[in-house]
Amino acid sequence: MSVPLSAYLVFALLLFCIGLYGALTKRNTVIVLICIELMLNAVNVNLVAFSKYGVNPGITGQLFSLFTITVAAAEVAVGLAILIALYRNRKTIHIDEVDTMKR
Amino acid sequence: MMENAWLIPLFPFVSFVVLLVVGKQLKERSAYVGMLLTFISLIYALGVLYERWTAPTYKQAYTWLTIGNVQLTVGFEVNALNALMLVVVSLVSFLVHTYAKGYMHGDERFPVFYAYLGLFTFAMLGLVISPNLLQTYMFWELVGLGSFLLIGFYFYKEEAKAAAKKAFIMTRIGDVGLLIGMILLFLEVGSFEYEAIFAALQNGNISTTIITLSAILIFVGAVGKSGQFPLHTWLPDAMEGPTPVSALIHAATMVAAGVYLVATLFPLYEASETAMMTVAYVGGFTAIFAASIGLVQTDIKRVLAYSTVSQLGYMMLALGSAGYVAGIFHLMTHAFFKALLFLAAGSVIHAVHTQNIEQMGGLWKKMKWTAPLFLIGTLAISGFPLFSGFFSKDEILLAAWTHGHVGLFIVAVIAAFFTAFYMFRLFFLVFAGEARTNVHDVHESPMVMVLPMIVLGVLAVVSGYVQTPWGAFLGEWLTEGTNWHAHAEGPSWIMIVATIVSLCGIALAWLIYGKQAIARDWLSSRFPMTYNVLMNKYYVDEFYGLTVMRATAFISLLFEYIDRFLVEGIARSLAAATRGIGRIGSRLQNGQVQMYGTVTIVALAILVVIFAVTGGYL
Amino acid sequence: MSGQYLAFFVLALIALGGGIFMLNLNKVVHMVVALVFTFVSIAGIYVLLSAEFVAAVQVLIYSGAITIIMLFGIMLTRHQDDGQSTGSPLRKALALLGTVAFGAVMYIGIRTLDFGTEAVGLHENNTEQIGIALYSKYVIPFELTSVLLLVALIGAVILAKKDDKEEGE
Repeated sequence: MSVPLSAYLVFALLLFCIGLYGALTKRNTVIVLICIELMLNAVNVNLVAFSKYGVNPGITGQLFSLFTITVAAAEVAVGLAILIALYRNRKTIHIDEVDTMKR
Repeated sequence: MMENAWLIPLFPFVSFVVLLVVGKQLKERSAYVGMLLTFISLIYALGVLYERWTAPTYKQAYTWLTIGNVQLTVGFEVNALNALMLVVVSLVSFLVHTYAKGYMHGDERFPVFYAYLGLFTFAMLGLVISPNLLQTYMFWELVGLGSFLLIGFYFYKEEAKAAAKKAFIMTRIGDVGLLIGMILLFLEVGSFEYEAIFAALQNGNISTTIITLSAILIFVGAVGKSGQFPLHTWLPDAMEGPTPVSALIHAATMVAAGVYLVATLFPLYEASETAMMTVAYVGGFTAIFAASIGLVQTDIKRVLAYSTVSQLGYMMLALGSAGYVAGIFHLMTHAFFKALLFLAAGSVIHAVHTQNIEQMGGLWKKMKWTAPLFLIGTLAISGFPLFSGFFSKDEILLAAWTHGHVGLFIVAVIAAFFTAFYMFRLFFLVFAGEARTNVHDVHESPMVMVLPMIVLGVLAVVSGYVQTPWGAFLGEWLTEGTNWHAHAEGPSWIMIVATIVSLCGIALAWLIYGKQAIARDWLSSRFPMTYNVLMNKYYVDEFYGLTVMRATAFISLLFEYIDRFLVEGIARSLAAATRGIGRIGSRLQNGQVQMYGTVTIVALAILVVIFAVTGGYL
Repeated sequence: MSGQYLAFFVLALIALGGGIFMLNLNKVVHMVVALVFTFVSIAGIYVLLSAEFVAAVQVLIYSGAITIIMLFGIMLTRHQDDGQSTGSPLRKALALLGTVAFGAVMYIGIRTLDFGTEAVGLHENNTEQIGIALYSKYVIPFELTSVLLLVALIGAVILAKKDDKEEGE
């Protein structure tokens, strides 16, 4: 008797919600980025869980989570590069002080 | 020729189109276009009349629309009445076209005037050959439009503008009645064709109530168009238009359209005693009512206008008294002598540049042609023996007597007396005596104006001889194939009474205004109340101003408030709501990613909740 | 198998606890360190789900690389700042409400979800299975991913270097 699929899914859901809430409310851009990573992680948990307990279980789910991790790494690299460029220009990394989209 | 009678209205229409397009280039030469084309119409109409004299009625109809099992047709019909009307209308129209060349000389909008005349003539000729009610109604409205345009021809004058509007609105009131009557008849008969309506009448397929109701409603249309009481007030005001227009539209043709309509639908009226009575009494009342106002007016054209109203009342009285021939006969003679009178009046106005008869006088010597012609017209309208009006009026009196309306007969006799009096009052004031103001440059009008008057003068004398007590050519021709009286047989003392009455009127006018044996203010000083009432036209305009116009103004005020507060309020609150939402939206768009994210998430949550509640099926 | 249950509960508790600490701590560096716990325990969860290779990658990339890069990022910027939440209370409430509603609906959806079929043999030669699939069936996505990484590398370098060039000119 193993841990049921729904337990993993609920766990992933909670992680996702924590990440979402953090991404929407935290002020520091680095933390916002890391919260997005947390959400991606929650998705990865789902993928891996389905690869074991899904309708068509198999190795594919794990492969997909690998791709996701790769893309997430690339995203973090670019995100941080943008962050540093922003900091150089505006001397801030507070997300609420970046409102150029309005103009 | 009769097969192509539909061409007759087309010539003036061509004139209208041509003058609209190239009128600016033609300038005053436009008159020749209009004259030529109406002359062709006249020749054609004479040909049609000649042919119709012996040939039977010709009718042609084409299917225009098929709606369900109802077929609407267009076409034309040449019966005796239509052929006669064609000649009268095209003749007067041609003469007025000629006359206006002199009268309108120097007017800036000369070509436009001729274009409008063409349009009106087209509509009027189209009206008289229509074989069904629907087509009649369309031309009826077109005629109204022509009248509106021509009354308001001097649109820079406030009075002309107001008069044009008044004419349009007053006649529209009548037209609504006509439309309802038409629809009633259509619902009952299932066709607009006159033939179908008459056939249904003969077979007794229509209930008496519907006959009476539709006849009276259609008569309301005629009341509006022919200036009968109580919708008569527009006609005197319509004199603001150019005088040739008054002669053509407001004396000879358009105002006769109401009489023509009643005559065309005569079988319908014949079938309902009530409708006949209504027509007769409205006509009789209008005749004496307008004549009494005409007694005291001082504007030359207004006197003529009230006399027109009065004479139209006569025609209605004749038709209502089963005097089919009498009504049409008087319509024809009246068209000639009233057009003559108006043209002569126009000639006088042209010469002295005023319309106030108090400022005229002594023109007999100065206007060698106009004055005798005016006298001929006056004698004709007064019913002086052996002039055309004498015979037609006699016919009407006989019809009223033989139909048993003694009251109406007396009214008609009194109106005849009034007519003779005020017409000769007009004549003496304008032409006799000495000039009351120093007008030096009085001169006779050019020949182009005099010639049409001469033609009309001749007709005003001789047109009466087609229907005399000794031989009823016109009546026999008009009533061919019907059981209507070609000539009303009555006691011969009626003719003597009519003669005496008209002579009395003339004599009285001569005593007061010619010889000045009786003081002019004899009446006004003894009966100031009566005089004032007459002078103010029985206060009908004031009455309308106080009742109908007040009510209309109140209703429009009410609607204005509804519009301002309700409709506009809704519109404004919508706008305010939109603006408010926009303001909130613009506050949301503050450039911060997290705000956007929050909005997105909330929206997503709402969507997801809706989907969860409804199970994914909205 | 009560051992598996126990492991799951412990790991899940550590992961969620790390997340909640992240939300409530004041210092930025502390937040990142709290998230390291989460990432490591997620790696443990992967092991429970017989994905040993993914677990290793998780430890290497998240707990190692990404966390370290983030710390560098913090240190390169004004790391002395606290990470206080931002925005109006209304917006925070709205975000919380939206998140909770979303979570609740999703929970209703997955509460009873259990397909019952369990894949076997995933943990036997896990890395070999992944390698075979990656280089045969998924070779094109794999190559595309390498291109993506290259683009990200060049992009990051250009973005981070841009200002220096401008200052130099």
